[in-house]
Amino acid sequence: MDAEVQPHRSFEGVFQVFLEEKSPRLATLNLSPGRNVYGERLVRISDAEYRLWDPFRSKLAGAILKGLKHLPIKLGSRVLYLGAASGTTASHVSDIVGNNGYVYCVEFAPRSIRDLINNVCKYRGNMAPILADARIPSQYSSIVQSVNAIYCDVAQPEQAKLLVSNARLFLEKEGWAMLAIKSRSIDVTMEPSEVYRQEINVLKENGFVISEVVRLEPYDKDHVLVVAKYMSRSQYIS
Amino acid sequence: MNVLKATVVTSVLGVIGFGEDGKIAAYKLFSQNTLEIAAKLVDIDAGKNVSEIPEVVKELKEKGFTKFVFENPALSRTVQAQLNVEVEVVSPSEVGENFRRKMGEYAVQTGFVKDASELSRWIHDVSMEVSQLKVRKATEKRDLMIVQAVQALDDMDKTLNLISTRIREWYGLHFPELDRLVEKHEVYANLVKNLGRKKDFTQENIEKLGISQNKAAQIAKAAASSMGGELKDQDIIQIQSLCSCVLGLFEEKSSTEKYIEDLMEEVAPNTSFLSGATLGARLIAIAGGLMNLAKMPASTIQVLGAEKALFRSLTTGARPPKHGIIFQHALVHGSNRRLRGKVARIFSGKLAIAVRTDAFSGTYIGDKLKADLEKRVDELQRKYPEPKPKTHEKRPPKVMGKMKPSRRRRKHGR
Repeated sequence: MDAEVQPHRSFEGVFQVFLEEKSPRLATLNLSPGRNVYGERLVRISDAEYRLWDPFRSKLAGAILKGLKHLPIKLGSRVLYLGAASGTTASHVSDIVGNNGYVYCVEFAPRSIRDLINNVCKYRGNMAPILADARIPSQYSSIVQSVNAIYCDVAQPEQAKLLVSNARLFLEKEGWAMLAIKSRSIDVTMEPSEVYRQEINVLKENGFVISEVVRLEPYDKDHVLVVAKYMSRSQYIS
Repeated sequence: MNVLKATVVTSVLGVIGFGEDGKIAAYKLFSQNTLEIAAKLVDIDAGKNVSEIPEVVKELKEKGFTKFVFENPALSRTVQAQLNVEVEVVSPSEVGENFRRKMGEYAVQTGFVKDASELSRWIHDVSMEVSQLKVRKATEKRDLMIVQAVQALDDMDKTLNLISTRIREWYGLHFPELDRLVEKHEVYANLVKNLGRKKDFTQENIEKLGISQNKAAQIAKAAASSMGGELKDQDIIQIQSLCSCVLGLFEEKSSTEKYIEDLMEEVAPNTSFLSGATLGARLIAIAGGLMNLAKMPASTIQVLGAEKALFRSLTTGARPPKHGIIFQHALVHGSNRRLRGKVARIFSGKLAIAVRTDAFSGTYIGDKLKADLEKRVDELQRKYPEPKPKTHEKRPPKVMGKMKPSRRRRKHGR
C-alpha cells in the first residue's frame, strides 16, 4: 500500500494521511498501537501507526477540516473532556496530547463509560474516566488537576453554563475552552443562529473571549464549535 | 477573637489541610492501594465522611484553626453535622485552585510519590477503579432489568411475526386454505407441528388440540378439498422444526411477561398497580429507568412514546399529541374520543405521583391513587356529557381562511 503521511500544517500531533491517490485524510498517531476505538482504519507508515480520524463521527475533526484556526489541544496539554461518551473523539485527543499530557473524561451514562473504560482507557495511561454529572464539578474535584483546555460536547440545554462552572474550578487562567453546540438539543423551536448567540453570550458574560466559531456543516447539521479563551472574571471586567 | 480558617482539600493523595498562608498545616495520606483510595473517593464525592477527614480536622483544631473550608457542599454539611465544627463552602477556593495546579509538587512534598510523573499513573488507576465501582453500582439497579426485558419482549414480537408469516407462506404451498382459517400464529404453528400434513387434519385430531368444534369442522373440510401440492417427508420435517422454534419463542415470551410483572411488583408496585405491569414497564423502558421517569413532569409522561408527533408539533405548530404510550391503558383508549386528552392528562398526573413514590419513598399508595383516578374520570364524564347530536342548520357558517384544521390534521399525534 502506498500511503504517505504529512504533519498537519497548523496543528502539532495531527497528521494528514494520503491513501491510494485519494484526497488527504486526518489522522493521529496511535498511542495504543494495534487497537482501534470505533472501527476506524489503522494505517502503518514506516514504523508508526496512525488512526484515521472520521469528521462525520468526531466534531473536532470536522472543525479542523472546516478551517479551525487555533487548536488549544497540543502535545503535553492537560485536557478536561466533558461528555466523552465512548471515547470516539476523546481517544484522538489522547493521541494528540501524548504520554506527557492528560485527558480527564467526564461522562454521565454508565453504558457509555463502560465502553470507554474497557475499550479505551484501559490501554491509554493518559486517560482517566470519570463517571459523574458534569453539572456538578465538585463531585470530581478530588481527581482532576487544573487543565489547559476544556472540550465540552454534552448536547444538553445547559451546556454553556456547565462549561463555565467547570472552567471556574479547573481551567487555568488564559486556558482555552472548546464548546460544541448542537442547536437542536438546546431548543428545537429556536433558530439555530439564535441558539448559538445565546450560548456564546453565556460564555462572554463569564470571562471568556470568543476566538472563533466554526460551523460544522456538512459533517454535522446545525452544529458549531466555539473556541474561547478564559480571561478570568476580573481581567475581563477591567 | 480572630478566626483562623483552614481549607481542607480532598484528593487522590489523601486529605490535606491548608492554613491561611496557603501552606500545608496538616495532612493524612491514603494508603497506597488503588482499590481503597477509589472506595474512599466514591464516599467523599457522595458527601460521606472518611476516616482521614476527622483526623486532619482534629490536628488542625489542635493548631488553633476554628473554621474549616470545603469545596464540596455535601461534604461540608456532613463534616459540620458529624464533627460539630464551623464550616464554610468556597468553590472554587484559591487554595484548591493552587493545589490542583501543583498537585504533582504536593504529591512529592507529602511523600505520596517520589516523582511527579508517577502521579499520572495513580490518577489513571484510581479513576479507572472509581468509575468501575460507580458503573457496577449503577448497573445493579433492578429497573435496568425491566428496560432490557421490555426490549427483549419487543424483539421477540418482531421475530415471532417475521417467522410466523414465513411459516404461513411455506406451509401454504401445501395447505393454503389454513392461512385464512386460523388467525393466531401460535395456534397455526401448533396445528402444523402436531398434525403435519393436511391429510391428518381430521375433525377429531383438530379438536384434540383445543379448537372449537365448529372451527375444527371448517378446517377439516378445507383440508379435504385443499388445492395445495404434496410435500415430501423432508419438507414437512423442516417446516415442523421451524414451528417448534416459534412455539418455543412463544413460551419464552410469556415467561418474560411474567418476569416483568414480578419485577414491576418489586421495583415499582404503585406504578404497576395503577397502570398495569406492561404499560408501567414500557414507560420505564422509554425513560431509561425508574429514576429518570420519576424526574419527568406529568406532561412529559403523558406524551412519552409520541415523540415524533410532539416534535412535529413543536417545530411546525401542528396540534400536539394528547397521549403517547399511555393510550394503551383501557381508561384512555376506552374513553370517548373527546375526553381522551383530558383523561390522559389526569392519568399521567396520577402516574407521576405513583412513579415518584416508587422511586423515592417506597410506601404503598397505589389503591388510593387508583380510587382517586377513577373518581376524577367519573367526574369528568359527568361534567362533559355526551353532546346532543348536532343538526346541520345550527353549525356556524364556515369562513374561508379561518377554517378549523382538517380532520386529518387534527388526528396527528394520536
